[in-house]
Amino acid sequence: MDFFYVIVIMVGIYVILATSFNFVIGYGGLISVAHPAFFALGAYASGILARDLGWPVLLTMPIGALFAFASSLLISLPSLRVSGDYLMIASIGFQLGLVEVIKHVSFTGGPGGLTAIPQFLVRDYGTVSYVIFTLVIAVAVVLVTRRIVNSDYGRAISALRDDELAFATLGKNAMWLKIWVIALASGLAGLAGAIYAHYFRFVAPEQFEVLQSAAMLTMVVVGGMRTIWGPVIGAILLQTLPQAITFINLPPSILGPLQGLLFTGVVLLFMFFRPAGLIPAPAIWQGGTSAPIDRKGKLDVRGA
Amino acid sequence: MSAVLEIKGLNKAFGGIRVADEINLSLHAGRVLGLIGPNGAGKTSLFNLVCGVVKPDSGEVFLDGAPLAGLKTFERARLGLARTWQNIRLFPSLSVLDNVLIGANDYPGTKLTNVLFRPGMVRAAAYRNLEKAHGILARCGLSDTHDKLVSDLPYGRQKLVGVARALMSDAKCLLLDEPMAGVEGHSYAAIQAVVREVAASGIAVGVVEHNVAFVRDLCDEGVFMFSGKILARGAVADLISDRQLTELYFGT
Amino acid sequence: MLDPIILGQIGWTSLATTSYYVLFAVAFSLVLKVNRLFNFTQAAAMSIAFYAAYATVNLAGLPLIVGLAVSLVAVLLFSWLIETYGFAILREKKASVLFIFIFTFMVSEFVAYLLMLTFGTWPNTIFKTLLWPVSLVGNVAVSHWDVPAIASAASCCLLLALFLRFTRWGQFMIAVSDNPDLAELYGIDKRRVFLLAVMIAGALCAVGMILYGSRSQVQPKTSLELMLFATVATIVGGIGNIWGAAIAAIALGFVQNASVLFIPSQLQGLLLYAFLFVAIIFFPAGLKLPERKRTFESKTRQITPAPGVATPADKPAE
Repeated sequence: MDFFYVIVIMVGIYVILATSFNFVIGYGGLISVAHPAFFALGAYASGILARDLGWPVLLTMPIGALFAFASSLLISLPSLRVSGDYLMIASIGFQLGLVEVIKHVSFTGGPGGLTAIPQFLVRDYGTVSYVIFTLVIAVAVVLVTRRIVNSDYGRAISALRDDELAFATLGKNAMWLKIWVIALASGLAGLAGAIYAHYFRFVAPEQFEVLQSAAMLTMVVVGGMRTIWGPVIGAILLQTLPQAITFINLPPSILGPLQGLLFTGVVLLFMFFRPAGLIPAPAIWQGGTSAPIDRKGKLDVRGA
Repeated sequence: MSAVLEIKGLNKAFGGIRVADEINLSLHAGRVLGLIGPNGAGKTSLFNLVCGVVKPDSGEVFLDGAPLAGLKTFERARLGLARTWQNIRLFPSLSVLDNVLIGANDYPGTKLTNVLFRPGMVRAAAYRNLEKAHGILARCGLSDTHDKLVSDLPYGRQKLVGVARALMSDAKCLLLDEPMAGVEGHSYAAIQAVVREVAASGIAVGVVEHNVAFVRDLCDEGVFMFSGKILARGAVADLISDRQLTELYFGT
Repeated sequence: MLDPIILGQIGWTSLATTSYYVLFAVAFSLVLKVNRLFNFTQAAAMSIAFYAAYATVNLAGLPLIVGLAVSLVAVLLFSWLIETYGFAILREKKASVLFIFIFTFMVSEFVAYLLMLTFGTWPNTIFKTLLWPVSLVGNVAVSHWDVPAIASAASCCLLLALFLRFTRWGQFMIAVSDNPDLAELYGIDKRRVFLLAVMIAGALCAVGMILYGSRSQVQPKTSLELMLFATVATIVGGIGNIWGAAIAAIALGFVQNASVLFIPSQLQGLLLYAFLFVAIIFFPAGLKLPERKRTFESKTRQITPAPGVATPADKPAE
């Protein structure tokens, strides 16, 4: 049964990661591979505060998320000042560099990892409570993301992705919009990290390496970029299906690369044979439903 | 009468090519100024310089007396500068209506905090903008296509959407970059009517256009540009009948 | 501490270690200039080149020259595959920058996993040992690796320079990098030029990885960091400026080697990331394909585009 719980918790965590990653690359059209780094920042920040300072986990989790949120400025502020290409390179650098830093400073536990992270909920209420906690947050993240992308904000992001210059000449600050998109997604990745850390109680640098972003990208691309349910489906499929090969008794040194090969191979196949993913995004932005109007163009006076 | 847009001594060179050579120009409220000249004369570059898309080497631009130097493109737009593009540049993943809605100057929905924590305010603005956008679409004769993908529209109507989007921002000064290139029939008449109406409402309009008939009918005044310089300013009819300028235009 | 002998030693060692950095930077910069794409599959090409040489020389015990040949064949084959069945198709489909990036990134990781499965995750070297005999020149220790390394890097650069300057295909490359559409109007086959650029870059990577792998240990993910170094050099050197990237690579290599005097050795690994952020903050002009720079460059030799064509009116040229 425990094995099943672990899978469900991992599905929940990856739903958050894939959804927030999709927010950046799918909706925002911004190229970043640093999502695992923000996942790590949330996990380490929350884990260290709870373990070494004894702060309650309920407090350290949002702090971990905020820490990741704020840290994203380190890549978005300098790089977005210039052009989108810089973000791509800054994110690779940040991702590789952060793992390197974690390995080299002592309060993170170095390459050996951070151990004995305090647990949350499990001791008092059992594993099921943590499963529910994770799933509730995952569902909330999906719903909030859906609300955002269908709102006026989502319309603005779509326009920005389509044509940044035209967007700017309409009086919209493209740079800050992008910075916020990255910050929000990074904060959510940090939250996922905190949830991860306080269940597994152990985090190590190699869990957050750049190869991790391949897994997240796979979920987004296979599920369907720029859709709400695509990354969710992607996360569920790609967290559960590879479990099948864990039943074949392979040593971890083979199992890890094999799973990685599977993930990256699937993406490459999808890119050429089904680039839109399992759930293709509609050609036209579907939002605006929360505005007081139905799509027929008649004004709904009740909203006034 | 004071100028809405005032350009003083603007210079810009790309490598060896001068696209703006001591440009002095003013646009006045309620009047349409036509910019004519051969390709490569620097007309579009002048728009880019005014909008802050390209930085000038020297010179100044004022909008309603306020200097625009150092302001970014989006800040200039917020002060009341709107433009359209030669190649339209609509947002392909948005419907016609949403393209126009993005143009709104009062658009609190670009701030995430507003969307999450002040939904009432965002909703109220969305409602106002929606009403206004439908009004503009009706004026442009686009109401029936408001939910279409812009790429499904014929070229002329796309240009019209570009104009509608620019109008959404309550600009004081509207710069139109070849609004008539490739446009005929119904859309031609619609754009012409809309631009007249816009000028009549007190907005300063600048038009880059090669369609001589359009410029002559619509513009109160014209300037002739050639290799980054303004060679002449006057009534459009006089400019196009000037033999010297015609020779420059056709490169004979 | 600032003993002239130490300085001389650092200077020499830097020069020697920059040999492979230069090759990686030139390769990255060349594809960026000609094909106008950030070719992150270069990491995969580098790993493939290394493991081909490793299998031939270290595992099979064959001489280095065979290793070099096998490595070149492997990397050229890979480059051909990537261009023909990857980039060419993506170009035809008018894939977005994001899509192309995901492709390059995924290919790199796919190859990294494949190599992990085949060769394991532990570090390997091309020869059984990393120890090279040392002779003293003046008071500076010169390893027997140093001179051949510098010589091969320098001759690769020279060959490339001569190729670009004097051969038909070299000039086609410059023309395509200046204006692909115009070059096509002149009858240059863009696709073959793009393929050629990727393959030349692959060959440079093969030489570079053999140099690197005979002096340092390599894991399947080592190439990613080496490529990042090349990226930084490309930014600092200025986009579209191959020799600028080479010089930047040498300069960065010197700084990295000299830094042993100033910063503790366990922080050496972080220096690359510091470089990267400095590059991003202080060299913002490097990283746009600037129309302006191109018109400056195109003053000399190649088919010069007509002035009217060079500045599309709607494109901002900040």
